[in-house]
Amino acid sequence: MKIKDAEIIALMQDPRTLEKGIRVLMDAYQSRLYWHIRRIIVDADLAQDTLQETFIKAYQNFHQFKNDSQLYTWLYRIATNEALQQINKLKKMQKTDEDPEYYMQNLVADNTEGDAEEIQIFLQKAIQSLPEKQKLVFMMRYYDDLPYEEISQIVDMSVGTLKTNYHYAKQKIEEYIKENYER
Amino acid sequence: MENFDLGNLERKNIYKVPENLFESIQENVLGGVKDFDLEKLERKNIYKVPENMFETIQDRVLSGVQSFDLDKLERKNIYKIPEGVFETVQENVLNEIKAEKKAPIFKLNWGYAIAASVALIFGVTFVYNSNSPVNGDSVNRYANNREVPKKESQIAYETLASDLTSVENANQTVESQMNIKPVVSQVVNNNSENQNKKSVKAANDVHMNEYLETLTNSEIAELANNSSQDVYLDLYN
Repeated sequence: MKIKDAEIIALMQDPRTLEKGIRVLMDAYQSRLYWHIRRIIVDADLAQDTLQETFIKAYQNFHQFKNDSQLYTWLYRIATNEALQQINKLKKMQKTDEDPEYYMQNLVADNTEGDAEEIQIFLQKAIQSLPEKQKLVFMMRYYDDLPYEEISQIVDMSVGTLKTNYHYAKQKIEEYIKENYER
Repeated sequence: MENFDLGNLERKNIYKVPENLFESIQENVLGGVKDFDLEKLERKNIYKVPENMFETIQDRVLSGVQSFDLDKLERKNIYKIPEGVFETVQENVLNEIKAEKKAPIFKLNWGYAIAASVALIFGVTFVYNSNSPVNGDSVNRYANNREVPKKESQIAYETLASDLTSVENANQTVESQMNIKPVVSQVVNNNSENQNKKSVKAANDVHMNEYLETLTNSEIAELANNSSQDVYLDLYN
């Protein structure tokens, strides 16, 4: 991945190969970023728009990318910010209507594959019941196996805070599943 | 048995009677109701119990929820993914990027935008005028303007004006050339006393044609490309 990153960075730093660079970048990162965004947003159309916006922002602001951080960390940061913005918009729209958490849990049920295991659906619902920070840390650690140091750069939290948040998130999810899931 | 006399037969009951029959009858009648003692009642469960109920419960408790381990759960994505999502995203991103690349042409400052609007008005006026009889003169003036040396600011202004109206002009010159020629030749034929004056016009017309001929294909293509400017300028007006 690092060789690929070096290639992408080199292509994107040269205006003549910038377009080729963004193509290689999209091929390399679209799937990881999509699922990261999708787990936050859940809604398919909104996740697609957010992924698109993430790539456009990456293209427009590539000059701000500093080589001292990992490319994926920088991309995750953009994607996370974009996704949170969308979620906040959604929450504002939902304000007068139903409880946002309840709304998200319904969204989970509507968006899952027909053959998804029940325990997996409960896990997603449990994730949606978490506070924002815990949710982000949990998802990046549990699904993407990102090191705390990298997550720290993505969400601007100290490693210690992140560890505590992950611990609480895991505990809450297990409690949620024990309470709600019956075999 | 000939001497049997029923009258002499001893009257007796021969049936067996349960022991304490009368006592228990009396007890039942009198004491059963009066002396009911809950304490003496046998404690028993009379409800039916499902078979293997306790085994099932124990199984559930031990193998089910209690042993749930998040770390052992398979990490998978369970959301439905729309078909062709990545192709669509890539296409949209690349389109956006291409649109942005062209954008700097339109990132004129407002001064230029206003100048361009004025130029556009001139251009439009020019189109209307091209239908009038003096249209030949307009073309000549255009051609002359390109040739006569001017002040730098004037040249800059006129270059901008001509660039922005180039498409109208380009279309127009083709059209006007077709129109002008008969007009000019007619004038030359019919007004022989003005022949000198008109021949000057004809000469100018030739200049215009020469000017157009000097343009290479790529220059004409460039002029044609600039036509998209008008669309955006219209938007900003």
